[in-house]
Amino acid sequence: MEALIRLLRMLMRIGTGLSFLILIGAVTIQVVGRTFAGSPVWTEELTRFALLYLAGFGTGAALFSGDLVNVDLVSESLPGRWPWLMRLLSATLVLIFAALLIGSAWRFTSIGAMQTSPAMALPMNYVHASVLVLLTLLAAAAALRVAGMVTGASDGRPENPLGEVE
Amino acid sequence: MSLAILGLTFVFGLVIGMPVAITLGLSSMAYLLWQGMPLVVIPQKMYAGMDSFVLLCIPGFILAGNLMNGGGITGRIIRFAQAIVGWIRGGLAQTNVASSMLFGGISGTAVADAASIGGMMIPGMKRAGYPADFSAAVTAASSTVGPIIPPSVPMIIVGSLAGISVGKMFIAGALPGLLLGVAMMVTTYIIARRRDFPRQPWQGWTELGRAFLGAFWALAMTGLIVGGMLSGYVTPTETAIVASIYALVVGAFVYRELPLTKVPSIVVDSAVSSAGILALVGTANVFGWILVSEQIPQMIASAVLSVTDNKFLVILLINVVLLIVGMFMETIAALIILFVPLMTLAQGVGIEPLHFAVFAVLNLMIGLTTPPVGVCMFVCANIARLPLAPVIRALVPYLVTNIIVLLLVSYIPAISTFLPSLMDK
Repeated sequence: MEALIRLLRMLMRIGTGLSFLILIGAVTIQVVGRTFAGSPVWTEELTRFALLYLAGFGTGAALFSGDLVNVDLVSESLPGRWPWLMRLLSATLVLIFAALLIGSAWRFTSIGAMQTSPAMALPMNYVHASVLVLLTLLAAAAALRVAGMVTGASDGRPENPLGEVE
Repeated sequence: MSLAILGLTFVFGLVIGMPVAITLGLSSMAYLLWQGMPLVVIPQKMYAGMDSFVLLCIPGFILAGNLMNGGGITGRIIRFAQAIVGWIRGGLAQTNVASSMLFGGISGTAVADAASIGGMMIPGMKRAGYPADFSAAVTAASSTVGPIIPPSVPMIIVGSLAGISVGKMFIAGALPGLLLGVAMMVTTYIIARRRDFPRQPWQGWTELGRAFLGAFWALAMTGLIVGGMLSGYVTPTETAIVASIYALVVGAFVYRELPLTKVPSIVVDSAVSSAGILALVGTANVFGWILVSEQIPQMIASAVLSVTDNKFLVILLINVVLLIVGMFMETIAALIILFVPLMTLAQGVGIEPLHFAVFAVLNLMIGLTTPPVGVCMFVCANIARLPLAPVIRALVPYLVTNIIVLLLVSYIPAISTFLPSLMDK
């Protein structure tokens, strides 16, 4: 179970990092291009798409890391096994939320096939699919958290409970 | 009934400790199912919320701050701050506040500020004879200046919600940030005189010059960011990426304290932090769409305005609501949920969106140092190895200072709007 959690986390982190590198590369080409030649028209679009995939791959990773912030004031102050049960219920509801939406996200992705992006002429289903990736990986992350808690491989706490950007 | 389901699911999710982003999505899902509406609305609105030009700069600014933070700037900034203000009564505490103001111009995240400055200053202050509770309190309180002084993630979020450019939002935060920092130094001075804290001798112009040269490349990043915004030559996203590359070069090749092997994990961690914010923006867009289609902002505005349309009272009421919410909820989540309804109310009594955005962010920063969920307070108490109670007591004078500055910024719009108005000329 721990190996499975590590593998999923690694895949999500690689996807998130690659998306960010594409974003950085596109913006750099935009700045350098504008300074020394004409700025390519596709960079702004690619930057936006890379950001969507950054969220797509990173949201599940943020659930593990604690960057998907929560308010655990009440749940963690309960006595005995209650905090563990609250974490289990919370992870289960995250799983239900994400899993129930996978079908709708697929439909939304399919709708995108009817459009193409103006600058890159990319069929928009490839871009809409970022939300499908987000919900699928979030469901997988939540499922592994539930399984980890039930098998005792994890206590269901994020790595960094204070992981927030303010 | 459907609104009751939305509200009850939302509160239930928060109470059991679900991530705020998912709580917003789940309550929206419950509403849509009750209404018999198709769930495809959720991915569609999430996508629309995240596909924003304004939000593109968030990962870049987070990365720039994290790279600088990993590149040995903290010690240099503290040395420079000490050379400027260390001779004032309570010198190390003054250094702490000044360091936070300088650090705020680089990273703009309060928690990073509290952890970095606190990690060096709190043990140093304790060794110099300052009480541990005061050392933790001054660090926590001054760290909240960071997200007011540009760059600032909360300012980017409110900019996207209010339709104001990121450059304007950043510049609007500059004077309130400086005012808050100076007010904290005055409070520190009063406490230092009363408790007879030591001062350090003036270290001389030579040390000031040396400290400035040491910190120059770190401090220049603030100039790069503000200059980039004001020049109009680069977009906020481009500014953020250029700042990241600059931070990498300074940390790895100028200061030589950022090992290149650490860079990949800093890049990915920054991206994951950004993804957490984007997911929140996405699901909040679904939630916000429901609130707007149910005309909740207008209902709140007309309910309040039917009782009073006195601008003074409405500003007070908005601040009280935000202070209470900020005590219990994370800043960005509170902004995303409440900003639009409260802005409708604020505009009803003639408050400019830019002015409202600044005092809303300033207000919510106070929640970072108040019980029960003040993150900066937790971080600093942890570094000082103290329970929360004495730190909370020591924070009281700074909370009073925060509230005085908040009232000044709330009732004197020029503090927020003067500098941005120069951009229009």
